[in-house]
Amino acid sequence: MTLAHYLTVASLLFLIGVFGALTRRNIIGILMSIELMFNAANINLAAFERFLHPEGVAGATLALFIMTVAAAEVVVGLALLLAIYRNTDTAYVEDYNLLKG
Amino acid sequence: MIEHAYLIPLIPFFASFIMLFGGKEDPHSNMPWVGIAAMGVCLALSVSVFWGAVTGTVALPYEHNWHWFSIAASIAGRSFVYDMPVGVLIDGPAAVTLVAVTLVSLMVQVYSVAYMHGDVRFKRYFAFVSFFTAAMLGLVASSNLLVTFACWELMGLCSYLLIGFWFEREGPCEAQKKAFMTTKLGDSGLYLALLLIFAKVGSFQLSQIYQFFDKGLMPATIATVIGIGILAGAAGKSAQAPLFIWLPDAMEGPTPGSALIHAATMVAAGILLVSKTYFVFLASPTAMESAAWMGLITAFLAASMALVSYDIKRVLAFSTVSQLGFMMCALGAGGFTSGLFHMTTHAFFKALLFLGAGSVIHSVHTNDMRQMGGLSKKMPLTFLTMLIAVLAIAGVPGLSGYYSKDMILADVWNHDHLMFWILLCTALMTAFYMFRLFFLTFWGDDRDHEKFHHAHESPALITGPLVVLAVLSAFAGAGLNHDGLVHKLIPKPTISVMPGAAVAAPAHASEAKPEASAHQASTEHHDGHLPAWLHMTAIVLVLGSITLAFLMYRGPTYAAADAIKANLGPVFTLLDRRWYVDDFFYALVTVSDKVAALAFWIDANVVDRVFVDGWGLLMRIFAQISDAFDNLFVDSAVDGVGGLGNDLGVGLRSLVREGQVQEYLMYAAIAFSLAATLILTR
Repeated sequence: MTLAHYLTVASLLFLIGVFGALTRRNIIGILMSIELMFNAANINLAAFERFLHPEGVAGATLALFIMTVAAAEVVVGLALLLAIYRNTDTAYVEDYNLLKG
Repeated sequence: MIEHAYLIPLIPFFASFIMLFGGKEDPHSNMPWVGIAAMGVCLALSVSVFWGAVTGTVALPYEHNWHWFSIAASIAGRSFVYDMPVGVLIDGPAAVTLVAVTLVSLMVQVYSVAYMHGDVRFKRYFAFVSFFTAAMLGLVASSNLLVTFACWELMGLCSYLLIGFWFEREGPCEAQKKAFMTTKLGDSGLYLALLLIFAKVGSFQLSQIYQFFDKGLMPATIATVIGIGILAGAAGKSAQAPLFIWLPDAMEGPTPGSALIHAATMVAAGILLVSKTYFVFLASPTAMESAAWMGLITAFLAASMALVSYDIKRVLAFSTVSQLGFMMCALGAGGFTSGLFHMTTHAFFKALLFLGAGSVIHSVHTNDMRQMGGLSKKMPLTFLTMLIAVLAIAGVPGLSGYYSKDMILADVWNHDHLMFWILLCTALMTAFYMFRLFFLTFWGDDRDHEKFHHAHESPALITGPLVVLAVLSAFAGAGLNHDGLVHKLIPKPTISVMPGAAVAAPAHASEAKPEASAHQASTEHHDGHLPAWLHMTAIVLVLGSITLAFLMYRGPTYAAADAIKANLGPVFTLLDRRWYVDDFFYALVTVSDKVAALAFWIDANVVDRVFVDGWGLLMRIFAQISDAFDNLFVDSAVDGVGGLGNDLGVGLRSLVREGQVQEYLMYAAIAFSLAATLILTR
């Protein structure tokens, strides 16, 4: 298992996240895809730490922080979604155009 | 004692500043005594130097220089440091002049304490007088022509201030401007001469310039130009023809101030400058002849003008101009000793004449001699001292003027006989108009009873200086002439390479030789005398003209004079209008004014209209064309680029369905991956 293996897995995961975010119509699915991308980044951080600086803990710590921030973000995002859903009666993102210029 | 000679100009200089800035202005201020004390110290110093020179304990010339400043210069690739010292140079003439100047200035100041007492600017007057004297002493004692020139200009300033002392009145204001501008006209010539000297010699030190001339290094033509420039300056300061017009008007100042200007400071400066730079004239016979003729013409014109004036101060002013002409003529004729000798004696008797006239004016409150007469009964002391002065200036044997004038006439006789006869004629006129003044003022009976009744002898502060000056006027000539003292004190300078000898080319031999030999002759005969018969004739003629003046002006009326005036009307008008020299200058100024007006008209109507306005119009048309081009092409290009950007943006926006978050995201992802690709594959 080399660094390349980890990076490959992480980039696949990231691309799946991107694909999901671009193609899912349901807003819940998009949020989940974004979480996938977060996790791809976390894998990168952990891998880089393990292979490049095995003596330190910075990468793992940063990954922990990101998880925390992602959890907090999901909380806010879901609260927003609920508010939007109550107003528009839809979960499809193409119908959300309140901020259209 | 002579090593302290530098103090002589400095003491009155500082005294004037103390008087000017110390204490309050007060008509009864005690400040003048500061100036008088300072002048007393200077007189003591000067006399000690003079006495040392007479007894031979002090070797003259004495020169001492101090460092002033240096200039690093580079000429023709050679760099050197030019050193400019400042110092004192006391030679025989300077020693004599220092005594004369300090003595006359002291007498004038003592006199002025009484004369100017109660004037609102009492203190300031004395500060000016001290400053004036300091400038003159600086000019006399300086070893450096640059310092001399600075003092020269300071005297111009002081004369301006003193002539216009009563500036509330219009006359003094006009007179001071006239004096200043006329002297400046001459000074421009002097300035050019100094520049030329520095350009040629590279030094302002008199001793170095003298050596340059002494070795014959100066070309004769340049020497002539320098000489003429110096003469122009001297003509302005010493009131020589045709720049004498300012001196009669300078009578508007306080009378003791006039005495100072006429006897000690201002007018003697020109003569002194010529004597200081006499080697220039020795090197240039042309400049020498010019000096002689300028002096001669001045002497004659001024004496003739004095014949008809009724203003007592004017007559004295004309007589000063005339006597200065004598000195200048003597210097030009090769009589260095006699010219400076006359300057010294003249300083005493002319100061006495002016102070005496001031005493009379102080007493009768008028300048017009027609309202005086018979004053000998009221003012015996003034009368006696004036008698001595008048006898001295007329050249009556035994008094000081006789010795110096006799020496001048002898020098001129040896130089040129025609000049001698004109000068003798002038001397006779001098005797006549001085005694005319004397008889009109003091002799016979009173003409104006009111003024005569109020006339009184002046206080001791006024008569004291008169007596001192009278003693000097009587005996200074004989004293200085005793045992050839004046020749020992004031030897004529010589230069080793005479121009006549140098230019003795065969082709010009006929022209150059007589001049050169005349020159040599006058040098050898410096103590030569007039032929005995001529000497006697001159004395008899002088006495004759005095008798003539007595016959014409002794009584309360002067019918004979009026009859002559009636018969010779045009001549009198000519003299009364001062030979139209003033009118000539006035016309010159008027013409210049007209020319300036014409030039202004051309400037306003031709230059401004055609060139300035035309050029402006041309530029405006050009600007309009340029503006149109700008609008049509440049601005369109700018707008076009902006429009293009705008159109591009609008076009791109039409590709995107608005309000679709996922599409925005897709474009962002595409752009991001493109950017990432570009960066990573570089």
